[in-house]
Amino acid sequence: MKMKAYMAFAKKSFLQKSAYRMEHWMGILNTLIRLVIYVEIYRALYGAREAVDGITMSMVTTNFILSLGMESFFVVDDFYLSYRIGNGSIASEMLLPVSFHGRMLADNLGTAAFKLIFHFIPAMLVAVLFIGISAPAGAASMGLFVLSVLFGYGVLWSISFMFQMFSFWLINVWAIMTIKNVFINVLSGAMIPLWFMPESMKNVIKFTPFESIYFTPVQIYLGKITGAEIAGGFIKQIIWIVCLLGIGMILWHKGQKKLVVQGG
Amino acid sequence: MSFIEVKEVSKTFKVNKRSAGIPGMIANMFVPKFENKKAVDGISFDIESGEMVGFIGPNGAGKSTTIKMLSGILCPDSGSISVNSYVPYRQRKEYVAGIGVVFGQKSQLQWDLPVIDSFELLKAIYRIPEEMYKKNLKRYTDMLDMGGFINQPVRQLSLGQRMRSDIVASLLHSPKIVFFDEPTIGVDVIGKETIRSFIRELNEKDKITMIFTTHDMQDIEQTCKRILIIDKGSLLYDGSLQEIRNKYGTTRQLIAEFNEDTEVTPIENVMIGDPKDRKRSFTFDNSVVDVNALMHEILGKYSIRDITVTEPEIETIIRKIYNKEVFA
Repeated sequence: MKMKAYMAFAKKSFLQKSAYRMEHWMGILNTLIRLVIYVEIYRALYGAREAVDGITMSMVTTNFILSLGMESFFVVDDFYLSYRIGNGSIASEMLLPVSFHGRMLADNLGTAAFKLIFHFIPAMLVAVLFIGISAPAGAASMGLFVLSVLFGYGVLWSISFMFQMFSFWLINVWAIMTIKNVFINVLSGAMIPLWFMPESMKNVIKFTPFESIYFTPVQIYLGKITGAEIAGGFIKQIIWIVCLLGIGMILWHKGQKKLVVQGG
Repeated sequence: MSFIEVKEVSKTFKVNKRSAGIPGMIANMFVPKFENKKAVDGISFDIESGEMVGFIGPNGAGKSTTIKMLSGILCPDSGSISVNSYVPYRQRKEYVAGIGVVFGQKSQLQWDLPVIDSFELLKAIYRIPEEMYKKNLKRYTDMLDMGGFINQPVRQLSLGQRMRSDIVASLLHSPKIVFFDEPTIGVDVIGKETIRSFIRELNEKDKITMIFTTHDMQDIEQTCKRILIIDKGSLLYDGSLQEIRNKYGTTRQLIAEFNEDTEVTPIENVMIGDPKDRKRSFTFDNSVVDVNALMHEILGKYSIRDITVTEPEIETIIRKIYNKEVFA
Protein backbone atom coordinates (compact mmCIF):
# COMPACT_ATOMS: atom_id res chain seq x y z
CA MET A 1 0.00 0.00 0.00
CA LYS A 2 1.28 3.33 -1.04
CA MET A 3 -0.47 5.09 1.86
CA LYS A 4 1.92 3.41 4.27
CA ALA A 5 4.79 5.67 3.26
CA TYR A 6 2.71 8.79 3.79
CA MET A 7 1.40 7.44 7.09
CA ALA A 8 5.01 7.04 8.20
CA PHE A 9 5.68 10.72 7.43
CA ALA A 10 2.54 11.79 9.27
CA LYS A 11 3.43 9.68 12.28
CA LYS A 12 6.94 11.09 12.36
CA SER A 13 5.77 14.69 12.36
CA PHE A 14 3.13 13.82 14.98
CA LEU A 15 5.86 12.46 17.24
CA GLN A 16 8.27 15.30 16.53
CA LYS A 17 5.63 17.81 17.53
CA SER A 18 5.41 16.32 20.99
CA ALA A 19 9.07 17.18 21.63
CA TYR A 20 8.36 20.87 22.08
CA ARG A 21 6.12 20.97 25.15
CA MET A 22 6.61 24.58 26.19
CA GLU A 23 5.76 25.88 22.74
CA HIS A 24 2.68 23.75 22.83
CA TRP A 25 1.31 25.16 26.12
CA MET A 26 2.07 28.67 24.93
CA GLY A 27 0.11 27.94 21.77
CA ILE A 28 -3.01 27.05 23.74
CA LEU A 29 -2.59 30.19 25.84
CA ASN A 30 -2.22 32.24 22.67
CA THR A 31 -5.50 30.90 21.26
CA LEU A 32 -7.35 31.64 24.50
CA ILE A 33 -5.93 35.15 24.90
CA ARG A 34 -6.90 36.09 21.34
CA LEU A 35 -10.33 34.63 21.85
CA VAL A 36 -10.93 36.62 25.02
CA ILE A 37 -9.69 39.86 23.43
CA TYR A 38 -11.85 39.48 20.31
CA VAL A 39 -14.94 38.55 22.33
CA GLU A 40 -14.45 41.40 24.80
CA ILE A 41 -14.08 43.97 22.01
CA TYR A 42 -17.39 42.91 20.53
CA ARG A 43 -19.05 42.75 23.95
CA ALA A 44 -18.03 46.40 24.47
CA LEU A 45 -19.26 47.37 21.00
CA TYR A 46 -22.57 45.59 21.54
CA GLY A 47 -23.13 47.26 24.94
CA ALA A 48 -26.68 46.55 25.98
CA ARG A 49 -27.93 45.72 22.49
CA GLU A 50 -29.41 42.31 21.83
CA ALA A 51 -28.48 42.09 18.18
CA VAL A 52 -26.87 44.16 15.43
CA ASP A 53 -28.18 43.59 11.91
CA GLY A 54 -29.79 40.40 13.20
CA ILE A 55 -26.50 39.04 14.55
CA THR A 56 -26.60 38.26 18.25
CA MET A 57 -23.63 38.50 20.59
CA SER A 58 -23.68 34.76 21.09
CA MET A 59 -23.36 34.25 17.32
CA VAL A 60 -20.31 36.50 17.33
CA THR A 61 -18.80 34.56 20.22
CA THR A 62 -19.50 31.28 18.45
CA ASN A 63 -17.88 32.60 15.28
CA PHE A 64 -14.71 33.41 17.17
CA ILE A 65 -14.58 30.16 19.12
CA LEU A 66 -15.07 28.08 16.00
CA SER A 67 -12.73 30.12 13.78
CA LEU A 68 -9.91 30.24 16.29
CA GLY A 69 -10.53 26.59 17.14
CA MET A 70 -10.18 25.63 13.47
CA GLU A 71 -7.17 27.87 13.09
CA SER A 72 -5.49 26.06 15.98
CA PHE A 73 -5.25 22.81 14.03
CA PHE A 74 -5.33 24.06 10.43
CA VAL A 75 -1.63 23.41 10.01
CA VAL A 76 0.13 24.75 6.94
CA ASP A 77 3.84 25.31 6.67
CA ASP A 78 4.30 28.26 4.32
CA PHE A 79 8.06 27.78 4.24
CA TYR A 80 8.20 24.02 3.73
CA LEU A 81 9.51 24.25 0.17
CA SER A 82 11.52 27.47 0.44
CA TYR A 83 13.36 26.11 3.50
CA ARG A 84 14.33 22.99 1.59
CA ILE A 85 15.40 24.92 -1.49
CA GLY A 86 17.28 27.42 0.65
CA ASN A 87 19.46 24.84 2.38
CA GLY A 88 19.68 22.38 -0.50
CA SER A 89 17.90 19.51 1.26
CA ILE A 90 15.39 19.52 -1.60
CA ALA A 91 17.89 17.18 -3.28
CA SER A 92 17.36 14.49 -0.66
CA GLU A 93 13.60 14.99 -0.79
CA MET A 94 13.54 14.46 -4.53
CA LEU A 95 15.35 11.15 -4.09
CA LEU A 96 12.47 9.66 -2.16
CA PRO A 97 10.02 7.63 -4.24
CA VAL A 98 7.02 9.62 -3.05
CA SER A 99 5.29 12.71 -4.35
CA PHE A 100 6.68 15.85 -2.79
CA HIS A 101 3.22 17.35 -2.31
CA GLY A 102 1.90 14.19 -0.77
CA ARG A 103 4.78 14.17 1.64
CA MET A 104 4.23 17.83 2.53
CA LEU A 105 0.53 17.19 3.13
CA ALA A 106 1.31 14.10 5.22
CA ASP A 107 3.75 16.09 7.35
CA ASN A 108 1.18 18.84 7.84
CA LEU A 109 -1.61 16.38 8.64
CA GLY A 110 0.55 14.61 11.21
CA THR A 111 1.09 17.92 12.97
CA ALA A 112 -2.58 18.80 12.50
CA ALA A 113 -3.64 15.55 14.19
CA PHE A 114 -1.41 16.39 17.12
CA LYS A 115 -2.81 19.91 17.33
CA LEU A 116 -6.38 18.65 17.06
CA ILE A 117 -5.95 16.41 20.09
CA PHE A 118 -3.67 18.49 22.26
CA HIS A 119 -4.46 22.06 21.26
CA PHE A 120 -7.95 22.24 19.81
CA ILE A 121 -9.68 20.00 22.36
CA PRO A 122 -8.26 21.60 25.54
CA ALA A 123 -8.71 25.13 24.16
CA MET A 124 -12.30 24.31 23.13
CA LEU A 125 -13.12 22.87 26.54
CA VAL A 126 -11.91 26.01 28.29
CA ALA A 127 -13.71 28.26 25.80
CA VAL A 128 -17.00 26.39 25.97
CA LEU A 129 -16.95 26.19 29.77
CA PHE A 130 -15.91 29.77 30.50
CA ILE A 131 -17.22 31.77 27.54
CA GLY A 132 -20.06 29.63 26.22
CA ILE A 133 -20.97 28.70 22.68
CA SER A 134 -24.27 28.43 20.80
CA ALA A 135 -25.46 24.92 20.09
CA PRO A 136 -25.31 23.84 16.44
CA ALA A 137 -28.49 24.47 14.47
CA GLY A 138 -29.18 20.75 14.31
CA ALA A 139 -27.63 17.30 13.95
CA ALA A 140 -27.48 17.67 10.16
CA SER A 141 -25.85 21.10 10.48
CA MET A 142 -23.26 19.57 12.77
CA GLY A 143 -22.44 16.84 10.27
CA LEU A 144 -22.24 19.25 7.35
CA PHE A 145 -20.16 21.59 9.51
CA VAL A 146 -17.53 18.89 10.08
CA LEU A 147 -17.44 18.14 6.35
CA SER A 148 -17.02 21.80 5.42
CA VAL A 149 -14.26 22.15 8.05
CA LEU A 150 -12.32 19.51 6.10
CA PHE A 151 -12.83 21.41 2.85
CA GLY A 152 -11.98 24.66 4.64
CA TYR A 153 -8.63 23.18 5.57
CA GLY A 154 -8.24 22.06 1.97
CA VAL A 155 -8.71 25.64 0.76
CA LEU A 156 -6.24 27.05 3.28
CA TRP A 157 -3.68 24.38 2.40
CA SER A 158 -4.11 24.92 -1.33
CA ILE A 159 -3.57 28.68 -1.01
CA SER A 160 -0.32 28.07 0.84
CA PHE A 161 0.65 25.36 -1.66
CA MET A 162 0.23 27.68 -4.61
CA PHE A 163 2.16 30.52 -3.04
CA GLN A 164 4.94 28.19 -1.92
CA MET A 165 5.70 27.36 -5.54
CA PHE A 166 7.15 30.85 -5.96
CA SER A 167 10.06 29.59 -3.84
CA PHE A 168 11.62 28.19 -7.02
CA TRP A 169 12.10 31.71 -8.37
CA LEU A 170 12.43 33.77 -5.22
CA ILE A 171 13.96 31.34 -2.70
CA ASN A 172 12.85 33.70 0.08
CA VAL A 173 9.06 33.91 0.11
CA TRP A 174 8.62 35.57 3.49
CA ALA A 175 7.18 38.78 2.06
CA ILE A 176 4.61 37.06 -0.16
CA MET A 177 3.53 34.80 2.68
CA THR A 178 3.09 37.74 5.03
CA ILE A 179 0.87 39.54 2.54
CA LYS A 180 -1.09 36.35 1.91
CA ASN A 181 -1.62 35.85 5.63
CA VAL A 182 -2.83 39.42 6.14
CA PHE A 183 -5.50 38.76 3.51
CA ILE A 184 -6.47 35.52 5.18
CA ASN A 185 -6.67 37.12 8.61
CA VAL A 186 -8.81 40.04 7.52
CA LEU A 187 -10.99 38.46 4.86
CA SER A 188 -11.64 34.99 6.28
CA GLY A 189 -13.78 36.16 9.18
CA ALA A 190 -11.40 34.95 11.86
CA MET A 191 -10.70 38.51 13.01
CA ILE A 192 -13.78 40.43 11.83
CA PRO A 193 -16.93 38.36 11.35
CA LEU A 194 -17.84 38.80 7.71
CA TRP A 195 -21.45 39.72 8.65
CA PHE A 196 -20.17 43.15 9.65
CA MET A 197 -18.29 43.84 6.44
CA PRO A 198 -19.78 46.63 4.32
CA GLU A 199 -21.88 45.38 1.41
CA SER A 200 -19.28 46.43 -1.18
CA MET A 201 -16.58 44.46 0.66
CA LYS A 202 -18.82 41.40 0.87
CA ASN A 203 -19.25 41.50 -2.89
CA VAL A 204 -15.50 41.42 -3.35
CA ILE A 205 -14.92 38.71 -0.75
CA LYS A 206 -17.50 36.53 -2.49
CA PHE A 207 -15.03 36.12 -5.33
CA THR A 208 -12.06 35.17 -3.15
CA PRO A 209 -11.27 31.82 -1.53
CA PHE A 210 -10.90 33.38 1.91
CA GLU A 211 -14.50 33.06 3.16
CA SER A 212 -14.44 29.36 2.29
CA ILE A 213 -11.85 28.68 4.96
CA TYR A 214 -13.50 29.50 8.28
CA PHE A 215 -16.66 31.44 7.53
CA THR A 216 -18.55 28.87 5.45
CA PRO A 217 -18.26 26.20 8.18
CA VAL A 218 -19.38 28.73 10.83
CA GLN A 219 -22.40 29.74 8.73
CA ILE A 220 -23.39 26.10 8.37
CA TYR A 221 -22.94 25.43 12.10
CA LEU A 222 -25.13 28.36 13.07
CA GLY A 223 -27.75 27.50 10.47
CA LYS A 224 -27.31 30.91 8.85
CA ILE A 225 -27.32 29.29 5.46
CA THR A 226 -29.50 26.39 4.41
CA GLY A 227 -30.25 24.07 1.53
CA ALA A 228 -29.02 25.42 -1.76
CA GLU A 229 -26.74 27.93 -0.03
CA ILE A 230 -24.96 25.10 1.79
CA ALA A 231 -24.53 23.24 -1.48
CA GLY A 232 -23.22 26.47 -3.01
CA GLY A 233 -20.72 26.80 -0.15
CA PHE A 234 -19.39 23.29 -0.73
CA ILE A 235 -19.15 23.79 -4.48
CA LYS A 236 -17.19 26.99 -3.96
CA GLN A 237 -14.81 25.27 -1.57
CA ILE A 238 -14.20 22.44 -4.02
CA ILE A 239 -13.75 24.79 -6.98
CA TRP A 240 -11.17 26.79 -5.07
CA ILE A 241 -9.25 23.69 -4.01
CA VAL A 242 -9.16 22.39 -7.59
CA CYS A 243 -8.13 25.77 -9.07
CA LEU A 244 -5.44 26.56 -6.51
CA LEU A 245 -3.93 23.09 -6.63
CA GLY A 246 -4.07 23.16 -10.43
CA ILE A 247 -2.21 26.47 -10.64
CA GLY A 248 0.20 25.23 -7.99
CA MET A 249 0.95 22.09 -9.99
CA ILE A 250 1.61 24.09 -13.16
CA LEU A 251 4.02 26.29 -11.23
CA TRP A 252 5.61 23.19 -9.68
CA HIS A 253 6.37 21.70 -13.08
CA LYS A 254 7.77 24.97 -14.36
CA GLY A 255 9.74 25.53 -11.18
CA GLN A 256 11.26 22.07 -11.09
CA LYS A 257 13.06 22.84 -14.35
CA LYS A 258 14.46 25.98 -12.76
CA LEU A 259 15.53 24.21 -9.61
CA VAL A 260 19.00 25.03 -8.41
CA VAL A 261 20.41 22.90 -5.63
CA GLN A 262 22.33 25.16 -3.34
CA GLY A 263 25.61 24.03 -1.87
CA GLY A 264 27.64 20.99 -2.94
CA MET B 1 20.70 0.00 -25.61
CA SER B 2 23.05 0.65 -22.74
CA PHE B 3 21.99 0.63 -19.13
CA ILE B 4 22.76 4.30 -18.72
CA GLU B 5 22.73 6.52 -21.78
CA VAL B 6 23.66 10.18 -21.62
CA LYS B 7 23.48 12.12 -24.86
CA GLU B 8 24.65 15.68 -25.40
CA VAL B 9 23.42 16.81 -22.00
CA SER B 10 23.79 20.47 -21.00
CA LYS B 11 22.73 22.43 -17.96
CA THR B 12 23.09 26.15 -17.47
CA PHE B 13 22.60 28.04 -14.24
CA LYS B 14 21.75 31.69 -14.08
CA VAL B 15 24.05 33.38 -11.63
CA ASN B 16 23.43 36.84 -10.26
CA LYS B 17 26.58 38.84 -10.76
CA ARG B 18 27.09 42.04 -8.85
CA SER B 19 30.09 44.22 -8.28
CA ALA B 20 31.50 44.45 -4.79
CA GLY B 21 30.57 46.85 -2.03
CA ILE B 22 27.55 49.00 -1.25
CA PRO B 23 27.36 50.78 -4.65
CA GLY B 24 27.35 47.37 -6.32
CA MET B 25 24.62 46.18 -4.01
CA ILE B 26 22.42 49.21 -4.69
CA ALA B 27 22.93 48.91 -8.44
CA ASN B 28 21.99 45.25 -8.17
CA MET B 29 18.74 46.08 -6.35
CA PHE B 30 17.48 48.01 -9.35
CA VAL B 31 19.23 46.51 -12.32
CA PRO B 32 20.28 42.97 -11.49
CA LYS B 33 22.82 41.50 -13.85
CA PHE B 34 22.81 37.81 -14.59
CA GLU B 35 25.41 35.63 -16.06
CA ASN B 36 24.78 32.22 -17.54
CA LYS B 37 27.13 29.64 -16.18
CA LYS B 38 27.36 26.42 -18.14
CA ALA B 39 27.72 23.75 -15.48
CA VAL B 40 27.51 20.88 -17.93
CA ASP B 41 28.20 21.41 -21.60
CA GLY B 42 27.25 18.65 -24.02
CA ILE B 43 28.35 15.52 -22.18
CA SER B 44 27.70 12.08 -23.67
CA PHE B 45 28.60 8.65 -22.34
CA ASP B 46 27.20 5.14 -21.91
CA ILE B 47 27.52 2.89 -18.91
CA GLU B 48 26.74 -0.83 -18.91
CA SER B 49 25.00 -2.73 -16.16
CA GLY B 50 27.35 -3.81 -13.38
CA GLU B 51 30.05 -1.30 -14.23
CA MET B 52 31.83 0.75 -11.63
CA VAL B 53 32.70 4.16 -12.97
CA GLY B 54 34.64 6.97 -11.33
CA PHE B 55 33.84 10.58 -12.08
CA ILE B 56 36.71 12.90 -11.45
CA GLY B 57 37.38 16.53 -12.06
CA PRO B 58 38.35 19.66 -10.17
CA ASN B 59 35.87 21.55 -7.98
CA GLY B 60 33.10 23.12 -10.03
CA ALA B 61 33.74 20.84 -12.99
CA GLY B 62 30.12 19.74 -13.21
CA LYS B 63 30.38 16.32 -11.58
CA SER B 64 27.71 16.86 -8.95
CA THR B 65 25.40 18.51 -11.46
CA THR B 66 25.75 15.47 -13.71
CA ILE B 67 25.03 13.13 -10.80
CA LYS B 68 22.01 15.22 -9.85
CA MET B 69 20.69 15.01 -13.40
CA LEU B 70 21.30 11.27 -13.49
CA SER B 71 19.43 10.82 -10.23
CA GLY B 72 16.39 12.80 -11.34
CA ILE B 73 16.82 15.84 -9.12
CA LEU B 74 17.76 18.32 -11.81
CA CYS B 75 16.30 18.59 -15.25
CA PRO B 76 18.79 18.99 -18.14
CA ASP B 77 18.31 22.03 -20.40
CA SER B 78 19.03 19.98 -23.49
CA GLY B 79 20.08 16.47 -24.40
CA SER B 80 18.63 13.21 -23.15
CA ILE B 81 19.28 10.84 -20.29
CA SER B 82 17.97 7.33 -19.97
CA VAL B 83 18.78 5.03 -17.09
CA ASN B 84 17.47 1.47 -17.02
CA SER B 85 14.97 2.71 -19.66
CA TYR B 86 13.62 5.44 -17.37
CA VAL B 87 13.92 9.15 -18.07
CA PRO B 88 15.02 10.21 -14.56
CA TYR B 89 13.63 13.75 -14.39
CA ARG B 90 10.36 12.81 -16.03
CA GLN B 91 9.58 9.59 -14.20
CA ARG B 92 11.18 10.68 -10.95
CA LYS B 93 8.98 8.82 -8.47
CA GLU B 94 9.15 5.42 -10.19
CA TYR B 95 12.79 5.87 -11.08
CA VAL B 96 14.17 6.81 -7.67
CA ALA B 97 12.52 3.75 -6.10
CA GLY B 98 15.19 1.66 -7.83
CA ILE B 99 18.29 3.77 -7.21
CA GLY B 100 20.39 4.72 -4.22
CA VAL B 101 22.26 7.99 -3.77
CA VAL B 102 24.82 8.99 -1.18
CA PHE B 103 25.80 12.64 -0.91
CA GLY B 104 28.94 12.82 1.17
CA GLN B 105 28.30 16.44 2.00
CA LYS B 106 24.64 16.07 2.89
CA SER B 107 23.21 13.50 5.19
CA GLN B 108 19.86 12.09 4.25
CA LEU B 109 19.23 10.73 7.72
CA GLN B 110 16.94 12.28 10.30
CA TRP B 111 19.20 14.50 12.36
CA ASP B 112 17.42 14.03 15.69
CA LEU B 113 16.53 10.37 15.44
CA PRO B 114 18.65 7.28 16.12
CA VAL B 115 20.08 5.76 12.94
CA ILE B 116 17.83 2.72 13.20
CA ASP B 117 14.70 4.94 13.26
CA SER B 118 15.78 6.57 10.00
CA PHE B 119 16.18 3.10 8.53
CA GLU B 120 12.71 2.14 9.71
CA LEU B 121 11.30 5.25 8.08
CA LEU B 122 13.05 4.35 4.81
CA LYS B 123 11.59 0.87 5.07
CA ALA B 124 8.11 2.41 5.09
CA ILE B 125 8.88 4.94 2.35
CA TYR B 126 10.35 2.40 -0.05
CA ARG B 127 7.90 -0.28 1.08
CA ILE B 128 10.73 -2.73 1.61
CA PRO B 129 9.46 -6.24 2.43
CA GLU B 130 10.24 -7.29 5.99
CA GLU B 131 12.59 -10.17 5.08
CA MET B 132 14.57 -8.15 2.57
CA TYR B 133 14.89 -5.30 5.06
CA LYS B 134 16.13 -7.59 7.84
CA LYS B 135 18.56 -9.38 5.55
CA ASN B 136 20.02 -6.19 4.06
CA LEU B 137 20.22 -4.44 7.40
CA LYS B 138 22.05 -7.32 9.04
CA ARG B 139 24.41 -7.85 6.14
CA TYR B 140 25.38 -4.21 5.65
CA THR B 141 25.63 -3.24 9.30
CA ASP B 142 27.89 -6.25 9.88
CA MET B 143 30.05 -5.41 6.89
CA LEU B 144 30.46 -1.81 7.97
CA ASP B 145 30.68 -2.66 11.66
CA MET B 146 27.85 -0.40 12.74
CA GLY B 147 26.53 -2.33 15.73
CA GLY B 148 28.08 0.11 18.19
CA PHE B 149 26.23 3.22 17.11
CA ILE B 150 23.07 2.18 15.34
CA ASN B 151 20.95 3.27 18.30
CA GLN B 152 22.58 6.69 18.64
CA PRO B 153 21.02 9.88 17.27
CA VAL B 154 22.65 10.97 14.03
CA ARG B 155 23.76 14.30 15.47
CA GLN B 156 26.03 12.46 17.95
CA LEU B 157 27.87 10.45 15.30
CA SER B 158 31.36 11.09 13.99
CA LEU B 159 31.65 11.93 10.32
CA GLY B 160 32.88 8.43 9.46
CA GLN B 161 30.02 6.78 11.34
CA ARG B 162 27.49 9.09 9.71
CA MET B 163 28.87 8.32 6.28
CA ARG B 164 28.62 4.59 6.86
CA SER B 165 25.03 5.04 8.05
CA ASP B 166 24.20 7.08 4.95
CA ILE B 167 25.68 4.39 2.72
CA VAL B 168 23.58 1.67 4.36
CA ALA B 169 20.51 3.91 4.12
CA SER B 170 20.98 4.16 0.36
CA LEU B 171 21.17 0.38 -0.04
CA LEU B 172 18.34 -0.94 2.12
CA HIS B 173 15.90 -1.17 -0.78
CA SER B 174 18.39 -3.19 -2.89
CA PRO B 175 18.84 -0.61 -5.66
CA LYS B 176 20.26 -1.63 -9.03
CA ILE B 177 22.31 1.55 -9.35
CA VAL B 178 24.02 3.55 -6.65
CA PHE B 179 25.45 7.03 -7.06
CA PHE B 180 28.14 8.03 -4.62
CA ASP B 181 28.95 11.74 -4.52
CA GLU B 182 32.20 12.05 -2.56
CA PRO B 183 31.50 9.22 -0.15
CA THR B 184 34.89 9.42 1.55
CA ILE B 185 35.08 13.17 2.08
CA GLY B 186 36.46 13.98 5.51
CA VAL B 187 36.77 10.34 6.51
CA ASP B 188 39.99 9.04 8.09
CA VAL B 189 42.30 6.51 6.43
CA ILE B 190 40.84 3.42 8.08
CA GLY B 191 37.30 4.60 7.46
CA LYS B 192 38.07 5.22 3.80
CA GLU B 193 39.50 1.74 3.49
CA THR B 194 36.37 0.20 5.02
CA ILE B 195 34.13 2.14 2.68
CA ARG B 196 36.18 1.28 -0.39
CA SER B 197 36.30 -2.43 0.26
CA PHE B 198 32.57 -2.40 1.04
CA ILE B 199 31.80 -0.70 -2.26
CA ARG B 200 34.10 -3.06 -4.14
CA GLU B 201 32.46 -6.11 -2.65
CA LEU B 202 28.96 -4.88 -3.49
CA ASN B 203 29.95 -4.26 -7.07
CA GLU B 204 31.64 -7.63 -7.47
CA LYS B 205 29.16 -9.83 -5.61
CA ASP B 206 25.85 -8.08 -6.19
CA LYS B 207 26.67 -6.60 -9.60
CA ILE B 208 25.29 -3.23 -8.54
CA THR B 209 26.12 -0.52 -11.07
CA MET B 210 28.00 2.25 -9.35
CA ILE B 211 28.95 5.76 -10.20
CA PHE B 212 31.34 7.47 -7.98
CA THR B 213 32.66 11.04 -7.70
CA THR B 214 35.65 11.87 -5.58
CA HIS B 215 38.75 13.99 -5.27
CA ASP B 216 40.70 11.17 -3.70
CA MET B 217 42.56 9.27 -6.43
CA GLN B 218 43.11 6.35 -4.10
CA ASP B 219 39.35 5.84 -4.05
CA ILE B 220 39.39 5.56 -7.80
CA GLU B 221 42.51 3.41 -8.02
CA GLN B 222 41.13 0.91 -5.57
CA THR B 223 37.58 0.69 -6.84
CA CYS B 224 36.99 1.78 -10.41
CA LYS B 225 38.15 0.23 -13.62
CA ARG B 226 36.82 3.02 -15.76
CA ILE B 227 37.05 6.75 -15.22
CA LEU B 228 35.43 9.79 -16.73
CA ILE B 229 37.33 13.03 -16.36
CA ILE B 230 35.22 16.17 -16.50
CA ASP B 231 36.35 19.76 -16.45
CA LYS B 232 34.46 22.97 -17.11
CA GLY B 233 31.41 20.95 -18.03
CA SER B 234 32.98 18.87 -20.78
CA LEU B 235 34.24 15.35 -20.88
CA LEU B 236 38.04 15.24 -21.15
CA TYR B 237 38.62 11.52 -20.89
CA ASP B 238 36.60 8.33 -20.89
CA GLY B 239 38.47 5.09 -20.49
CA SER B 240 40.30 2.80 -18.13
CA LEU B 241 42.73 3.89 -15.50
CA GLN B 242 45.35 1.50 -16.89
CA GLU B 243 45.09 3.16 -20.28
CA ILE B 244 45.83 6.54 -18.77
CA ARG B 245 48.87 5.13 -17.10
CA ASN B 246 50.09 3.50 -20.29
CA LYS B 247 49.50 6.58 -22.33
CA TYR B 248 50.65 9.38 -20.10
CA GLY B 249 52.46 7.65 -17.29
CA THR B 250 55.50 6.67 -19.34
CA THR B 251 57.80 9.17 -17.67
CA ARG B 252 60.19 7.56 -15.22
CA GLN B 253 62.62 9.14 -12.88
CA LEU B 254 65.80 7.44 -11.87
CA ILE B 255 67.61 8.86 -8.89
CA ALA B 256 71.22 7.88 -8.34
CA GLU B 257 73.24 8.70 -5.25
CA PHE B 258 76.96 8.90 -5.97
CA ASN B 259 79.76 8.00 -3.59
CA GLU B 260 81.59 11.21 -4.36
CA ASP B 261 80.95 14.44 -6.28
CA THR B 262 80.99 13.42 -9.92
CA GLU B 263 80.55 15.18 -13.22
CA VAL B 264 78.08 13.36 -15.45
CA THR B 265 78.30 13.22 -19.22
CA PRO B 266 75.05 13.82 -21.07
CA ILE B 267 72.99 10.80 -22.17
CA GLU B 268 70.75 10.85 -25.21
CA ASN B 269 67.00 11.40 -24.54
CA VAL B 270 67.56 11.70 -20.80
CA MET B 271 67.15 14.86 -18.79
CA ILE B 272 69.74 15.08 -16.07
CA GLY B 273 68.99 17.18 -13.01
CA ASP B 274 71.38 19.36 -11.05
CA PRO B 275 73.30 17.60 -8.29
CA LYS B 276 71.90 17.81 -4.78
CA ASP B 277 73.58 16.08 -1.81
CA ARG B 278 75.47 13.95 -4.34
CA LYS B 279 72.16 12.89 -5.85
CA ARG B 280 71.13 13.39 -9.43
CA SER B 281 67.87 12.70 -11.18
CA PHE B 282 67.61 11.19 -14.65
CA THR B 283 64.20 11.77 -16.21
CA PHE B 284 63.24 9.82 -19.30
CA ASP B 285 60.39 8.32 -21.22
CA ASN B 286 60.40 4.57 -20.83
CA SER B 287 58.97 4.05 -24.27
CA VAL B 288 62.07 5.73 -25.71
CA VAL B 289 64.83 4.82 -23.31
CA ASP B 290 65.34 1.32 -22.04
CA VAL B 291 65.60 1.45 -18.29
CA ASN B 292 67.91 -1.57 -18.16
CA ALA B 293 70.43 -0.08 -20.55
CA LEU B 294 70.37 3.23 -18.73
CA MET B 295 71.02 1.64 -15.37
CA HIS B 296 73.74 -0.45 -16.86
CA GLU B 297 75.41 2.61 -18.26
CA ILE B 298 75.22 4.59 -15.03
CA LEU B 299 76.35 1.71 -12.84
CA GLY B 300 79.23 0.93 -15.18
CA LYS B 301 80.49 4.48 -15.47
CA TYR B 302 80.18 5.80 -11.98
CA SER B 303 80.60 4.71 -8.41
CA ILE B 304 77.01 4.51 -7.17
CA ARG B 305 75.79 4.12 -3.61
CA ASP B 306 72.04 3.86 -4.18
CA ILE B 307 69.64 3.86 -7.08
CA THR B 308 65.82 4.12 -7.29
CA VAL B 309 63.33 4.29 -10.14
CA THR B 310 59.95 5.93 -9.62
CA GLU B 311 56.81 5.90 -11.65
CA PRO B 312 54.61 9.05 -11.62
CA GLU B 313 51.64 9.08 -9.27
CA ILE B 314 48.26 8.89 -10.93
CA GLU B 315 47.51 12.24 -9.30
CA THR B 316 50.32 13.84 -11.23
CA ILE B 317 48.95 12.53 -14.48
CA ILE B 318 45.45 13.72 -13.66
CA ARG B 319 46.81 17.12 -12.72
CA LYS B 320 48.48 17.30 -16.10
CA ILE B 321 45.22 16.46 -17.80
CA TYR B 322 43.41 19.18 -15.82
CA ASN B 323 46.10 21.69 -16.73
CA LYS B 324 45.87 20.63 -20.38
CA GLU B 325 49.56 19.73 -20.37
CA VAL B 326 48.55 16.48 -21.99
CA PHE B 327 45.42 15.92 -23.97
CA ALA B 328 43.29 12.94 -23.26
